[in-house]
Amino acid sequence: MLDSLSGDIERYMDLLSARQKLVASNIANADTPGYRTQDIDFQSEFASAMGGAPRANAVSGLAIKNDGNNVDMDREARLLSENALRFSVASNLMRGHIQMVKSAIKEGAGS
Amino acid sequence: MSLFAALSVGASGMSAQRVRAEALTENLANSETTRTPDGGPYRRKDVVFQSAPVGSPFSSVFDTQMQSVGGVQVADVVTDTSAPEMRYMPGHPDANSEGYVAYPHMNPAEDMVDLMGAARNYEANVAAMNAVKDMIQKSIDLLH
Amino acid sequence: MSFPVSGISGINITDAIRPIAGVGQSSSSGFQDALNSAIQKVESTGNEASASVERFLGGEGEELHTTVLATQRAEMSFDMFQQVRNKMVGAYQEIMKMQI
Repeated sequence: MLDSLSGDIERYMDLLSARQKLVASNIANADTPGYRTQDIDFQSEFASAMGGAPRANAVSGLAIKNDGNNVDMDREARLLSENALRFSVASNLMRGHIQMVKSAIKEGAGS
Repeated sequence: MSLFAALSVGASGMSAQRVRAEALTENLANSETTRTPDGGPYRRKDVVFQSAPVGSPFSSVFDTQMQSVGGVQVADVVTDTSAPEMRYMPGHPDANSEGYVAYPHMNPAEDMVDLMGAARNYEANVAAMNAVKDMIQKSIDLLH
Repeated sequence: MSFPVSGISGINITDAIRPIAGVGQSSSSGFQDALNSAIQKVESTGNEASASVERFLGGEGEELHTTVLATQRAEMSFDMFQQVRNKMVGAYQEIMKMQI
């Protein structure tokens, strides 16, 4: 129940949520002068043993417009869909895992 | 901020784009207005955005995860102060003594393109809110 | 004809429980350990779930999925505890039914 698999899936969902919040901020600030796109370093946050809130970083390689804003709407739209889909996968995996453990407990009752 | 606060971020984006769209629409409607209540031709309006922290309406003052950058707000609506465009039209009721009429100094094509951008970004914020809403719903579905 | 009658020896209760329990513990403390561990799990996951719900309701930025998973874990711990307890009660009843 408190096994490492469900802990990992939960951490994955935490990071996806954090990433999606930043995508929402980037989209809301797509026209804000001087605003720089933010993201989290997903793989390194997931691999790191420490928990806690992930760190938001600047994103490199984005073109800066005349007003200092570097939000790329295509990038944000892509991330928006991808994060939502991955979250959906993770929550389905988690639900399957929970149901498996629950039925294992119930099976034990019958014997 | 939690995913719920991300909904507020999306809402702030929608608001800001709507204010921008309203200013642009007003500009376009008045691109030929030579007479205003304050006297003189219409002066173009510009909307300035800035990042603003946004929490969920349900968040407490102790929400330690609120970052300094989150949503967006309209910092200012700036009225154009440049000189009006003078056109030689001696027969016009608003012509001055030399026969020139002061027209608004603006480029309607530019404002039209900006208006399309505002509409598109408004929809992007709506899409963001829907995606976040779906994720929250998925969490609820975990409760068998 | 008389048969040698030995004294009545005490029944080794744990040996009697072992085939019924299926827990594979070699002493009566095995059941107690399992029960204690289950109780501890119930307590810790229960406290964590309550704390998570409080943080969520209080708007302190707790993610909904964190709270939902914490309550699911508490529920599973409780189910597990119930099964261990039921097994103990069942085993006790089996022993009581045995003719001594």
